[in-house]
Amino acid sequence: MDMYAIRTLRSQPLRLILTIGGIALCIVLMLFLLAVYRGVADGSVEYIRQNHADLWVLQDNATNILRGSSLISMDQINAIARTPGVRTAAPVLFLLSTIRNGDQVGTIFLTGFEPEKGLGGPPHLVWGRSPRADDEIVLDRSFALKFGFKAGEEVDLQGRRLKIVGISRGTNAFVIQYAFVTLRFARKLIGVPGLATCVLVNAEPGFGIGPIREEICDVLAGLKAYDQETFLANNVHEMQSGLLPLLYTVAVIGAIVLTAILSLLLSVNILERRKDFAILKTLGSPMAFLWGMVIKQAVLIASVSCAAALILFFPLVQVIERISPEVTTKSTVGQIGGVVAAVLLMSLASSIVAIRRLRRIYFLEAFS
Amino acid sequence: MNGFETPGPVIRLEKVTKIFNDSGQPTTAVREVSLEARRGEMVLLLGPSGSGKTTLLTLIAGLTRPTSGSISLFGKNVEEYSATELQSLRAERIGFVFQTFLLIDSLTATENIEIVLRFNRKRRAGRAGKTRALLGELGIEHLADRFPRAMSQGEKQRVAIARAIANDAELLIADEPTGSLETRQAIDIIALLHGQAERRNTTVIVASHDLRLKEFADRTLRLQDGMIS
Repeated sequence: MDMYAIRTLRSQPLRLILTIGGIALCIVLMLFLLAVYRGVADGSVEYIRQNHADLWVLQDNATNILRGSSLISMDQINAIARTPGVRTAAPVLFLLSTIRNGDQVGTIFLTGFEPEKGLGGPPHLVWGRSPRADDEIVLDRSFALKFGFKAGEEVDLQGRRLKIVGISRGTNAFVIQYAFVTLRFARKLIGVPGLATCVLVNAEPGFGIGPIREEICDVLAGLKAYDQETFLANNVHEMQSGLLPLLYTVAVIGAIVLTAILSLLLSVNILERRKDFAILKTLGSPMAFLWGMVIKQAVLIASVSCAAALILFFPLVQVIERISPEVTTKSTVGQIGGVVAAVLLMSLASSIVAIRRLRRIYFLEAFS
Repeated sequence: MNGFETPGPVIRLEKVTKIFNDSGQPTTAVREVSLEARRGEMVLLLGPSGSGKTTLLTLIAGLTRPTSGSISLFGKNVEEYSATELQSLRAERIGFVFQTFLLIDSLTATENIEIVLRFNRKRRAGRAGKTRALLGELGIEHLADRFPRAMSQGEKQRVAIARAIANDAELLIADEPTGSLETRQAIDIIALLHGQAERRNTTVIVASHDLRLKEFADRTLRLQDGMIS
């Protein structure tokens, strides 16, 4: 690395530290938003991904369970179960409900399912088991942490006492968390027997899902069946359309701030050292040599800032997840590599802005 | 040497005038100056402050363009050089010495010299060897790792001269090289420049108001109000 580039930066240590700090925080913000996005994306669809149904049957106006309204009657559920080739038809009822803990009230995405069918329940249990009786419930880990519910305790769900028999993970959709009860209990709660939101269907071994889907959609009016892959994609798309624009906007603002901070530092450095640059120009420095010095400074600051951001990021995420358990994050090497590459590109963009100032430094300034 | 032997004068100025038009007020800094300097010759431009010495030096080095007249540098009219060619000339064939030395504060003596060699894309090992040799030649090896702030005025000017000749310059342009020095140091420095001119067959143009430098110059031209008198 160029000694001039390094020593010029080191000559104002406080400014350098503040700049690196500011850029590192922007990088932490970008890493955090990506980690939140990945965490939410996984949490939102993990339930679907892990349930491995061959078909998800919903009312034909609904394409997903995150932001869709679907009601299927008992007759339709029975008809689905009787469809040739269907081995299992597991109705699931989703409800928005509230759980009280003292003064605190938390909203949950209550999922009623039939445990004996082996479909529609919690995707992963970190403790305990699935509910078997109507007075049992499984809570999402983040929800339990946030509201201080402990395994084995009783909770108040709309005036009914339920015992926490399990704690699940992969059931945190960021804005809301899943809770699991028996289908019978969920139906009692709304007072409409035989109702479901969707039916998870598994086919007989060796039976193709195409004919089953056709049968359900053609014969049973008002229903639509999606294979696992399509249904997963529908839910991912729904989640992305709601969350991604917001995350991207904040991430882009972070990137702009980062570029602005770096451009400012580089420009101030050039202006403060304009006599040096005038001397170098007079002595015959090619412009590319001067550009190179500015670019090296930009890349050096960006690299140090990335390192500082990575040192800060992981402990900071742990602190945030402790303070706000519903914030579930997930970071991958690819994500981090992408952010580092983006920051290096932004450092080049910053240096281009600063380099323009070099043109306005004249030979005669060396003689003044 | 760079191997560009220039037949005839290294520099030739014919009726060169330079008018600055700052804030709409035209100021004639150099008026109809004609001069030439040959290889190995040391020419002293003697004149008081404001007589146009520095402007003349910048014209000679191709840093500014004349308002009228012609300047020939290494046998070719300055107007015919592109900006890149002029930059290459300064990097490879011209050296500069300034009154206030103009060393880069954040670099050591070695680095101040080496940075000029980097303009010529000289390899790192070659740069280090050349710099060591120059420091030895000018008797300032002990300053190699020292920053300008830890040097005396005379030491700074020696490092500046080492930087100026690092590219084996055929033309040395010195603007008041003794202006910031005490008498003893001033004589040492001008003797050093004179010695370099002789030993390396370098053309040296010195602009100064210091009459003591006359005895070292091959030729002295007096500059007054932008004109050679």
